[in-house]
Amino acid sequence: MKQYLSVFRIKFINNLQYRAAALAGIFTQVFFGLVFIMVYIAFYESNTGASTPMQLSQLISYLWLNQIFFVIVYIWIKDEELLSMIKNGNVAYELCRPVNFYFKWYFTIYGTRLSSLLLRFLPVLVMALLLPSPYNLSLPASWLSLLLFIVSIFIASLLVTAISMIFHIITFFTLDERGVLTLLMVIGEIFEGGVIPIVFFPKFLQVIAYMLPFRYICDIPFRIYSGNINIAGSLINIGLSIAWLILCFGIGIILSKRALKKAVIQGG
Amino acid sequence: MKIYFESIKMHLKSALEYKKSFIIIFISQFLVFFSYYFVILALFSKFDNIKGFTVYEVLLTFSIIQLGFSIDEIFVRGFDRFDDLIITGNFDRLLVRPQSIIMQVLSSKIDIVKSSRIIQGIIILIIALINLNINWDIYKVITLTLMILSSIAIFFAIFVFMASYCFITVQGLEVRSLFTDGGKNMAKYPIGIFKKGFIFIFTFIIPYAFVNYYPLLYLLGRVDNKLYAFSPLVVFLFLIPALLSFKLGMKKYASTGS
Repeated sequence: MKQYLSVFRIKFINNLQYRAAALAGIFTQVFFGLVFIMVYIAFYESNTGASTPMQLSQLISYLWLNQIFFVIVYIWIKDEELLSMIKNGNVAYELCRPVNFYFKWYFTIYGTRLSSLLLRFLPVLVMALLLPSPYNLSLPASWLSLLLFIVSIFIASLLVTAISMIFHIITFFTLDERGVLTLLMVIGEIFEGGVIPIVFFPKFLQVIAYMLPFRYICDIPFRIYSGNINIAGSLINIGLSIAWLILCFGIGIILSKRALKKAVIQGG
Repeated sequence: MKIYFESIKMHLKSALEYKKSFIIIFISQFLVFFSYYFVILALFSKFDNIKGFTVYEVLLTFSIIQLGFSIDEIFVRGFDRFDDLIITGNFDRLLVRPQSIIMQVLSSKIDIVKSSRIIQGIIILIIALINLNINWDIYKVITLTLMILSSIAIFFAIFVFMASYCFITVQGLEVRSLFTDGGKNMAKYPIGIFKKGFIFIFTFIIPYAFVNYYPLLYLLGRVDNKLYAFSPLVVFLFLIPALLSFKLGMKKYASTGS
């Protein structure tokens, strides 16, 4: 366990160096947040009679949380180091090391994501809270929903890394990170509710979304925060997300074993 | 110009060397922007207009922006990835050749594989135009053409601006995504739906509004003033400071070494 934590720590400290990148990231996130919010406000203003699946304030909180926790919930983050290792054959060196391949890379990716989060989330959070209504992030529905939100976003961060690992391991079989991986990430991003909340989907796509693990990354935590899902529902969903997390760990570990056994090392 | 076309041919040839990979990436590039269209369609399944603009009007706006951006991402890739040239020191090599620098930067990288994005943009544009009742006349044809050309021009200018910024910073182009992706995200809706401050910035500082808003109003018959029809021409003025700043950067250029 110790060696995995130190991989995590190295990646964490390493990533804290990139403060300028973080600053640009903060700027970008606030800008994007405002643009998305203005679009939704314009939609709500021009359709006052329409039945909407979410109250405007809940929706705006959802959009802000999506920006604030962007580096955790964004499924589209690739670890270029791991991918190029798989493609150029250097992954052979990894196999000589006395550490578990899966967990080493799991903690590497997790460390990267968590350090980026710590660098960026506070300024965006403060700005989002201080903005004038209706642009601001509302306070959580209750203390209990805040607590449940923290639990669910923590599970989400573990789950997104587990899913991300599966995507990376698939590259062992396809050896192409642009084609299949892109397709998987487009699907993941849509069905986690990253581009638009799932409640806005057409009915049949909602049904599909509810059968996939992706929604526990964005959709569930953010709706728990604003009280769009009630307490009982939150608890059930947190339970389900833990089940998915265990399943994704399992699939990832089995796939990585299978991949390494069959691995044809590229290059010479 | 001849050199540029020659290099397009070379880049195409080299891309086609790996046929299977070309096909896979070609298809996946087609899907990359699917989520953008998905958002628009999902929202319009719940709402019927955004500040008076209907779904096909928004799709028209978006496809024009997307078309311009894709064309630049393929053919102006050299400026888009200009930091590579600076960091590796390869820019020095361009300087000693007896050809126009801008032409050489343009020829240095061309990403043909992304042309599926152009096809996607054209398909959406056609779908939008079929479903809109536009009273076509010669002015409206000109307006539409100008909109597409100005969309190409605006992203070209932004790429060149960002490239000249590389002369100073060598690297560190994170802000780029704010102007291109951020701008693109805004400009997929007619700029008029945003609040005053944003409209001001995107009219006078980065003129997205002249690409997709003022001419759109004329195209859809919301205004009759011919000035609106020719308003995309303003965007071409934006090229002047972009190219000037590149020239200025080049004067100040100090190589990064071997």
